[in-house]
Amino acid sequence: MSEVRIVTDSTAFLPREKLEKYRIEVVPLSVNFPDEIIIDGNIKNKDFFEKMKRAAKLPFTSQPSPGDFFQVYEKIINKGDEIVSIHISSGISGTVGSAETAAKMLDVSRISVVDSLITSGGLAMLTLLAARAAMEGKTKDEITAMLETLKMKVKTLFVPATLEYLKKGGRIGGAQALIGTILQIKPILTFREGKIEVFEKVRTMRKALERTISELPERPDNVQVAILQAEAEETAALLRGLIEERLPGVMPVTYELSPVIGTHVGPGTVGLVSLQL
Amino acid sequence: MNGKEENIFTLHGKDLRHMILEACNYFEQHKESINDLNVFPVPDGDTGTNMSLTLKAAADALLTFQSESIGEVAGIAARSSLMGARGNSGVIFSQLFRGIARGLTGKDEATLYEVGRAFQYGIVYAYNAVSKPIEGTILTVAREIARGSREAVQSSLNFAGLLQIALECGKKALDQTPELLPALKEAGVVDAGGLGLIVFLEGCLQSILKGATGDGFVLPRGIAGSFAGGGGPIINGPGILEPDEQFDERYPYCTEFLIRGGGLSVGKIRKDLVGQGDSLLVAGEEEIVKVHIHTDDPGNILQICLQCGSLHDIKIDNMADQFKETRWGRTPGTGEQDGASGPAGAGLEVDAASVAAGAIIEQIGIVAVSPGKGLAEMFTSLGADGIIAGGQSMNPSVEDIVKAIESLAQEMVLILPNNNNIRFAAGQAVKLVEKEVAVVDTRSVPQGIAALLAFDRDASLSLNHTRMCKRALQVKTGEVTFAVRDAHINNIEIKENDIIGLSDGDLLFRGENVDETTMGLIGAMLTGEEELLTLFYGQEISSAQVELLAGQISKAYPFLDVEFYNGGQPLYYYFISLE
Repeated sequence: MSEVRIVTDSTAFLPREKLEKYRIEVVPLSVNFPDEIIIDGNIKNKDFFEKMKRAAKLPFTSQPSPGDFFQVYEKIINKGDEIVSIHISSGISGTVGSAETAAKMLDVSRISVVDSLITSGGLAMLTLLAARAAMEGKTKDEITAMLETLKMKVKTLFVPATLEYLKKGGRIGGAQALIGTILQIKPILTFREGKIEVFEKVRTMRKALERTISELPERPDNVQVAILQAEAEETAALLRGLIEERLPGVMPVTYELSPVIGTHVGPGTVGLVSLQL
Repeated sequence: MNGKEENIFTLHGKDLRHMILEACNYFEQHKESINDLNVFPVPDGDTGTNMSLTLKAAADALLTFQSESIGEVAGIAARSSLMGARGNSGVIFSQLFRGIARGLTGKDEATLYEVGRAFQYGIVYAYNAVSKPIEGTILTVAREIARGSREAVQSSLNFAGLLQIALECGKKALDQTPELLPALKEAGVVDAGGLGLIVFLEGCLQSILKGATGDGFVLPRGIAGSFAGGGGPIINGPGILEPDEQFDERYPYCTEFLIRGGGLSVGKIRKDLVGQGDSLLVAGEEEIVKVHIHTDDPGNILQICLQCGSLHDIKIDNMADQFKETRWGRTPGTGEQDGASGPAGAGLEVDAASVAAGAIIEQIGIVAVSPGKGLAEMFTSLGADGIIAGGQSMNPSVEDIVKAIESLAQEMVLILPNNNNIRFAAGQAVKLVEKEVAVVDTRSVPQGIAALLAFDRDASLSLNHTRMCKRALQVKTGEVTFAVRDAHINNIEIKENDIIGLSDGDLLFRGENVDETTMGLIGAMLTGEEELLTLFYGQEISSAQVELLAGQISKAYPFLDVEFYNGGQPLYYYFISLE
């Protein structure tokens, strides 16, 4: 009896023990400094942001090549298993394209590629749900259908400390309108149809957090909540306090942003992901 | 007329024209005494200037326009004064002309009675321009003039006499304004707009008493003739529009006409018409009866009355036309909550329309009024599509705002007046354009910036309007300027040229220098919950001064994030936003 294996990418930034427990395969993106290519996840975040701060120029990031996917897929397919491969939104990365190309080179009937339309904590949530479903014996098509439904329900809101990084990275969709703003503002960003859009603009981090919290569901039942942060432990702790106040009983998981995502949003970013199952 | 004669039988176009030109001249001479009455002794206390400019707009148009028709002259005065209207008081003032024009529509000449009644219309229009009138303002004065002179309109032998009676009533009402509005009492002044109205009527009276030769304007000869004549017969008056006349959607047609015949019975006609609409008014005598009614079926009304006699001067207005245009931006005037209270249904309508129109939903333009260059850049960088220069020293006219709205490509427009005294002109501008426009109730620059941050291009006009109005109220505004006269406000003794600090319309602090007042004002505004202090410095503040103040603030309030921006506004050293 064949198994369904789950493949994701490094932007989900799942901790090693989860990956091992659920037998999740990861295809990494990479961060390219002039002097060094860093494979997403192969560096401690603290060291990464240190390096980024020291770098004269901001690094750029690269999606995995179809070959990277091919290698991972091929091993699984050769064992006779099937694949559900879920990835960072096609609105901000070409990763899904690479995965699809690799799938066509192998066997599209056995590999299902899902465009999550989000990334990071939300992608991590979906990946774990898919992996659990796979362990429960759900089929590839059942898991794919489940992910297609769930991905529309994931709400991601994040607040970069500054717009500088998004501006340089260029992946900002509707947030483009904010570039050139003279006034210091704290935009709350979200994913809309896979692209980064402005959810709301406020002027202080405190207001941004409060606004973010107000988007949580009314009741804690069947709600998964994750806090995202990059070099923003203090703010993340503040956010945790606000969440616990608003939805007692919900245990928010904290995910760090992977270096690739960190490159684009910058240190000091916090975010909130929620999924009402 | 030889300059002494006061009795006028009929007025022609040139007589009205002359009167307005004279009154404008007279007003100009008195505007400073009106400016002096501003409640707060701030340098933009320019009620007199605003009303004078409004009147001047009418006069300027009339200088190049001559007509025998009094209706045409009144029409020109109404249109041009509205376009030139500045400030809340100016806009209310322009409504006076609109009422006069309405009363004289289609007339080449008017009897004393008709002119008096037209003035009454004017007063009522001014009063009605504001949907939630505040007592103790120009509106109270206008209403009392209308009330007090109602009888005189019907019985007075001459127009000068009527104006004298109107003035007496107005002055009495003006003296009462401090009793009705505590802010006036505390400041020890009467209402400036109210005084403006009196000055205007005095100007009109002067022009009649003085006769044809106005000083200041070169007037064509031959005006005198039309002033000849004695008191003529006066129709026993039909009613004057009541100040509380309102628009009811069920009865959109304002229908007015005269019935001529023999043995007419006011009582019977009234009985026939009761139940056919509202605001019913039937008045007159056996040979002539005036009917005024708001109805959903004007044809039926005419049919009913045709059985009594012949119909004349028939005038049917669809009030819904005007009301629809005003719903959105209806700014009820001097100082109270703005018409964000558009009927709930309006929002739904817009949403439905937006859905139907698809992509058009994104086509919302924003016009912001900005008092300084730096602030204009800031508004633009935050997404404003059009900027109107103005605010503190010079309020933009209704026409300026109309032009700004029309210059945008978008068919839907949001206006940010960013000044308490411009909101009303913005509301009038809304009525004059074809586009769908809403006025966001921003009374200061910081409120405007806060509102602009809440703008979402993907949301509908109504949703944006609601959100932006709400967000504007979430920041605290401070203003630092100088006093233009001595005053006593909020138990604070103020001398001319003191530096004063105001917050959201309240005077909170006075000091000897800008830094002292700014620090004092910030201290008075803080409640302990705020995180971010933003200061927009004016054109008189140097960067060295800014640095000095920044040091003081961070020392006194280390927990606050402080940001300084070059606003470039005149007269105001700092605009402060605290959130």
